[in-house]
Amino acid sequence: MRRIVVALAGTALMLAGLLALSGCAASTTASTTQLTVTGSTTLLPIAEVSAEDFMAANSGTRVLVSGVGSSAGIESVTNGTCDIGTSSRELKPAELSLGLVDTPVARDAIAVIVNPGNPVTSLNTSQVADIFSGKVRNWKEVGGPDLEIGLVNRDEASGTRQAFLELVMKGRDFDPTAAVLPGTGQVRSVVAQSRIAVGYISLGFVDSSVKAIVIDGVAPTPATVADKSYPVSRVLHFLTKGEPQGLAKQFIDYVLSPTIQDSVVPDAGFLPMSAGVK
Amino acid sequence: MQSRERVNKSLTNAIALGVIWAAAIATVGALGTILLYVIVNGIGQITPTFIFTWPHGVNMEGGIWPTIQATLYVTALAMLITTPIAVLAAVYLAEYAVQGRLVRTIRFAADSLASVPSIVMGLFGLSLFVEGLGMKFSVIAAALALAFLLLPIIVRTTEEAIRAVPKYIRWGSYGLGASKWQTVSRIVLPSALPRITTGVILAAGRAAGETAVVIYTMGTMINAPVSPLDPGRTMPVDLMLKAQEGINLPSAYGTALLLVLMVLAFNLVARFIGRRNRRMQG
Amino acid sequence: MAGDPDLTGHDVAPEMCADTDAALRAPEPPKQPPRRALMKITPATYLKEAALKNLFLLCAFVAVAGVALIFIFVGIKGWPIFGKVGLLNFLGGATWLPTQGHFGILPLIVNSLLAMTGALILGGPLAVGTAIFLSEVASPRARAIVRPAVELLAGIPSVVYGFFGLVLLRPIIASLFGGLGFGLLTVWLILAVMIVPTIATLTEDALGSVPEGIREASYSMGATKWQTIWRVLLPAAKIGIIDAIILGMGRAIGETMAVVMVAGNAGVIPDGILKPFLTLTTVIVMDMPYASGDHTTALFGIAIVLFIISMLFVAAIRVISRFGKQVG
Repeated sequence: MRRIVVALAGTALMLAGLLALSGCAASTTASTTQLTVTGSTTLLPIAEVSAEDFMAANSGTRVLVSGVGSSAGIESVTNGTCDIGTSSRELKPAELSLGLVDTPVARDAIAVIVNPGNPVTSLNTSQVADIFSGKVRNWKEVGGPDLEIGLVNRDEASGTRQAFLELVMKGRDFDPTAAVLPGTGQVRSVVAQSRIAVGYISLGFVDSSVKAIVIDGVAPTPATVADKSYPVSRVLHFLTKGEPQGLAKQFIDYVLSPTIQDSVVPDAGFLPMSAGVK
Repeated sequence: MQSRERVNKSLTNAIALGVIWAAAIATVGALGTILLYVIVNGIGQITPTFIFTWPHGVNMEGGIWPTIQATLYVTALAMLITTPIAVLAAVYLAEYAVQGRLVRTIRFAADSLASVPSIVMGLFGLSLFVEGLGMKFSVIAAALALAFLLLPIIVRTTEEAIRAVPKYIRWGSYGLGASKWQTVSRIVLPSALPRITTGVILAAGRAAGETAVVIYTMGTMINAPVSPLDPGRTMPVDLMLKAQEGINLPSAYGTALLLVLMVLAFNLVARFIGRRNRRMQG
Repeated sequence: MAGDPDLTGHDVAPEMCADTDAALRAPEPPKQPPRRALMKITPATYLKEAALKNLFLLCAFVAVAGVALIFIFVGIKGWPIFGKVGLLNFLGGATWLPTQGHFGILPLIVNSLLAMTGALILGGPLAVGTAIFLSEVASPRARAIVRPAVELLAGIPSVVYGFFGLVLLRPIIASLFGGLGFGLLTVWLILAVMIVPTIATLTEDALGSVPEGIREASYSMGATKWQTIWRVLLPAAKIGIIDAIILGMGRAIGETMAVVMVAGNAGVIPDGILKPFLTLTTVIVMDMPYASGDHTTALFGIAIVLFIISMLFVAAIRVISRFGKQVG
């Protein structure tokens, strides 16, 4: 049994050593071989695949990608917890003075989606705002069946929600009794399964399980996004504190290169920056 | 007794027993439904590719190898930290403690610790380990937070194990002139070891399945941690994110199934060790 | 010097007897691997014993340290919100709109209590019934199936429960009852199953500690099994069962992951059991990723509230146990 005591004491010493080591943990974000990218979940597909390909092309580098929300990304990059913050919304007025440099990396649109079994196919912007603010509660008020509207909102961490708030709600508040779901895919699957549901997701995630609504007479397609006729479009951002440098600059340049812009970005359902009409 | 009363009594009895059977069947049924659903939907995902490769691609196809690594790493580290302390604490409570305010305080603290909601523990880990001690998101921060979470559980099971050792064994040892520590270390603990091990293994299963604690101390980045200072994503966190994102549902089922299998494995090993113990004590 | 004073009947290391040296010199069977001989007990041994005892005490104290640390480190980050908003406004405020500066958590408290109560109503009887089954009714073969099932239910991670609720239960409820399938009903069903193992295990223990003689006495008076259970055993195990239920309540109110996936997360008191709602636990996990400043402080403040609630449950168990012992 003495052996066990010795083992336990040794373990304790080891742990003390570990703790001491961690106390002098060097900041990893300033390293030239490791990059942390965090922020919008909308940008995750682009960021993750780009990271993979980048790491494959540049051995020895590590790019760590995570996504919890645009606001988290902005805050992280501002306080130095990460190197690149990704955002699917514009910076708020209060955030403009933080010294962040914005590099747009892709174009996107937000589609309002309903269940394929819902006869409603077209709405105008003010109707959409009425629905999402809770003013309109029944589908029959917008030309649908006599059923209560199942409102699905995104969580407040979501850049998609912020963008939707600015572009469509225009200052009106969301209905506080709406269901709040923390992910694009969840919104899509709930809308796909429930006849009464309505929500909004990035155009890149629309698939055959849901139906995208025509807004103000314009259907959301890559073409209408490119010529800006679809009213709910936006740009996706990579943000850095100050001008991008070193590994961050390399990575951002890589994401803006045709390798990514012409394959990964469209694969993820977005539009390359070059698709914009000046 | 009147015959009507007798019939009434039997009828009530029969109905009540039926209800009790129904309760038990409902419980087993609930378990069966969950297991069956996860297995049926996830079994197609369990291929060597899924287990041993890294995720890649826009929709996170591929495997979950780094999350498996991260899960095992943080669980092992947490158990390594908490087991010595918990076992020795249990030894104190079972063998040395004298009833009094001190012991009452310790027990109240242990019970409180055991009932802390795991999300509070997660925020605690964030505040103390990640930010306060500067460990950032790391395996060690998560392991320390988990260690606090598991401590009361292991103390409880170890104490029961120690108390289960019959008194006459100790008397024999003292009768031979052994000191208290000699008795505890050479007689009582080895005798209680199988039960202690069972408790530790079950606690490890609990640690492996923790989400709220880990997400605020280890982060959500996909990474196979090498040093304890590395961040990582464990399987429960991975499952939560995949479920929330909703983009790659088959992969989520696969992760869920692997998690359930892992917990099952822990359970079976713990049970096996317990059974061997009982057979030996025969 | 002669070991610890025996105040409470704990085993005591008796004094060394003079024959030990002789015993130590006794020859050992040659075939066996060399075994360590008993140490000689010297005055140093007693120092070592005391040191060890204090080491173990230190380990036991880690639990107390843990509670204190949690209070301190969660409290530090959460305390300011009470000052800023006022304790009454925080706990009693009816509007939770943190991004607009409203930090009233009353709806969250009410929602947490609603979720817990419903789960208890559904899961409590289910758990007690299962426990009675295991303790009184089951044949050994049935017990061999049901008990492992309960243990396994206890081991399933809460994310898996939540995931199951999200992908299977929610669509079913949505198609059965209309609506989106998020809401109290779904949460009640999932939470009920989750607290069954907690309540059932403790109830089974409580029933098991009722002496066998009481059962025999009851049967010998002609009582049926159910009469015995209902009128004799359950009252006898009452304290243990209440403890189990309170523990289940604590588990239900502290559960996060399973609830957040099926509750729908709207920050208001729902006006129906099929409407989305937010609780004290789910608000933290939903808002932490993006909260900043006062919002984060408010979330830590909610964590303090949760911690105090869970400690109140533990205290309640202690008070009830003591009260029960006095009465019965």
